[in-house]
Amino acid sequence: MRVLIVEDDPLVGDAVRRALESHGYAVDLVASAEAAGSALQAESFDLAVVDIGLPRASGLQLVRAQRRRGAMMPVLILTARDGLDDRVTALDLGADDYLTKPFQVPELVARCRALIRRANALSSTQLAFGVLRLDLARREVSMDAKAIDLTHREWSILECLILNAGRIVSKERLKSAVVNWSGDLTPNAIEVYVSRLRAKLVGAANIRAVRGMGYRIDAHEK
Amino acid sequence: MRMKSDRVPSVRTRLLTLLLLPAVAILVAGTLGDYFTVIAPFREAYDQALIDTAIALAGRVVSRSDGRPTFFLPPDAAAILRRDKIDSIYFRVSGPGGSLIYGDADLPELPGTGANPVRGSVTYRGAPIRLVSYRTLAGSALVTISVGETLQKRNRAQTAVLTTAVAVDAAELGLILLLIWLGVRLALAPLGNVAAQIYRRSARDLAPLPIERVPIEIRGVVEALNRLFARVTRASAEQRRFLESAAHQLRTPLTGIQAQIELLIDDEAEPARQERLKLILDGARRLSHTTHQLLALARSDEAATLDRKFEEVDLAAVVATVVNERITSAFATGIDFGADMDPAKISGVPWLLAEAVGNLADNALTYTPAGGRVTVRCGHGPAPFLLVSDTGSGIAPGDRERVLDRFYRGGNARGDGSGLGLAIVQEVAQLHGATLAIDAGAGGEGTIVKLQFPDPEAGTAV
Repeated sequence: MRVLIVEDDPLVGDAVRRALESHGYAVDLVASAEAAGSALQAESFDLAVVDIGLPRASGLQLVRAQRRRGAMMPVLILTARDGLDDRVTALDLGADDYLTKPFQVPELVARCRALIRRANALSSTQLAFGVLRLDLARREVSMDAKAIDLTHREWSILECLILNAGRIVSKERLKSAVVNWSGDLTPNAIEVYVSRLRAKLVGAANIRAVRGMGYRIDAHEK
Repeated sequence: MRMKSDRVPSVRTRLLTLLLLPAVAILVAGTLGDYFTVIAPFREAYDQALIDTAIALAGRVVSRSDGRPTFFLPPDAAAILRRDKIDSIYFRVSGPGGSLIYGDADLPELPGTGANPVRGSVTYRGAPIRLVSYRTLAGSALVTISVGETLQKRNRAQTAVLTTAVAVDAAELGLILLLIWLGVRLALAPLGNVAAQIYRRSARDLAPLPIERVPIEIRGVVEALNRLFARVTRASAEQRRFLESAAHQLRTPLTGIQAQIELLIDDEAEPARQERLKLILDGARRLSHTTHQLLALARSDEAATLDRKFEEVDLAAVVATVVNERITSAFATGIDFGADMDPAKISGVPWLLAEAVGNLADNALTYTPAGGRVTVRCGHGPAPFLLVSDTGSGIAPGDRERVLDRFYRGGNARGDGSGLGLAIVQEVAQLHGATLAIDAGAGGEGTIVKLQFPDPEAGTAV
């Protein structure tokens, strides 16, 4: 997996590069939007991590220019400002996620991994989540090459949770993911499916309930 | 109340005083003038009638052969002379030395002065009368003819004149007072309009006041106000730029330092050095936490001076953001962290609300032990509210006011708090017109901090 980091602060840029390299990514670090433009023209990347506050052309301008060119790779924006305006603008311009400085390294790595996973789900049918391997076309999941037997509804819930890994997914969202396979569902039914799913995924992933909000899945990494 | 007596009198009071008092004085003087002008000819006419009578009587004096003057008036004529419906007429004819020739013996006569006839007012038979004494020569003898008349007719005429004059002048006075009062009111109305406009506007509204309809006398004041508004707007824009740049300049190196230390800790094999790096990381995190809070506090101060940025905020979205951002650390500490969202909307600044509730949630998560519960709630009943409840150690009742002070840390404070969290919450609450209440939780356990917003339907919204 190849990641382009666009960050003018050497201290931050170096930290992000080291963090991603230690998780097995191939990383290119540039310090300006112009250099990023050249790099993106020359080669293809699986993810771009872009700081908003770049000298001359800002990170937002870079994202807009890339999206206009039709570049599809996911973009994670880094921002040092706390106003929501910037984040909303960033998402409107085509960024996929944002992280506010200061961030913690594991959080950065998790966001990057989630963005790449989601992008891959669009282009390929194979998806890795920790020790789990998902075949999106055949709706199959395996752990350590051993198939896990899931019902249609359980599969739909797992797929929805994994594609939004690291975030809380509401019961309503899970319900609408399942509803294709049934007529009507009560929120209690979701609870039942989730607890069955939990039992089947022991040792592979952890599905935790957040009271009043929904569920979040986290992988048990290798 | 003491304020009131020290007050400078209003322009209206001054105008009314300065116009009304002289107007009243002038009108009273005018009334008196009218009275005297009208009454003088009346007096003259009545006096003239007396003089005519005296002169006519003088024609009746004849000089006898012995040189002594004598007077003859037929009784009918005397009766005619004395006949008057209203007044009593008196007369007396006297010779040299005041010897009575004819008439009322006790009627006084006026002493001769330069003038002839002499007029005067005397008292006769217990009543004031008007008296004329006319001197003439009968042969060589000086004869004095005095005619007196009581004052009934004169008084009646005087009363009639006075009544009319006072009535007319009083009506005039009333009319003028009314016109002055109305005039002052109408003339000062634009002043009142400007004052009302300034009074009604929101404290955050820094738009210039319209100058076109402002009277020239206070245009200078309004222009000065507009210049002040413009200066505050500029200063606040500069402050915003400064804060944004400060945020960027401070956060970026702090991010780098923190991230580098985190990576060093992962790489470090030696436990003692790893321990020291963790201490440094703690320090760096405290530093960036305090920096973040100071910037948030400064920016909420700044937002308080401007009307802009207020938008419709879905409180459920604020709650969801706050829970999402903290769920990982809540999972790590084993706290049951959750939400309870009922639909509620207010007008506000979303990121500041998230900052405020985030601070409340951070406090709750810090002071709640593993296995405890922290809930972020929003709802509408009877007005929109946001609250954070926990089952933690609670805040002593005596501390509940002081924890809102900047940098104050409660008696059982812990963690890496800066003491700014609740001050930020307080600031954001004020900005949104909300009240902040700190109470013990159900059964006296833990803490509930509630932000109660004004009811938008009651029209008290900010």
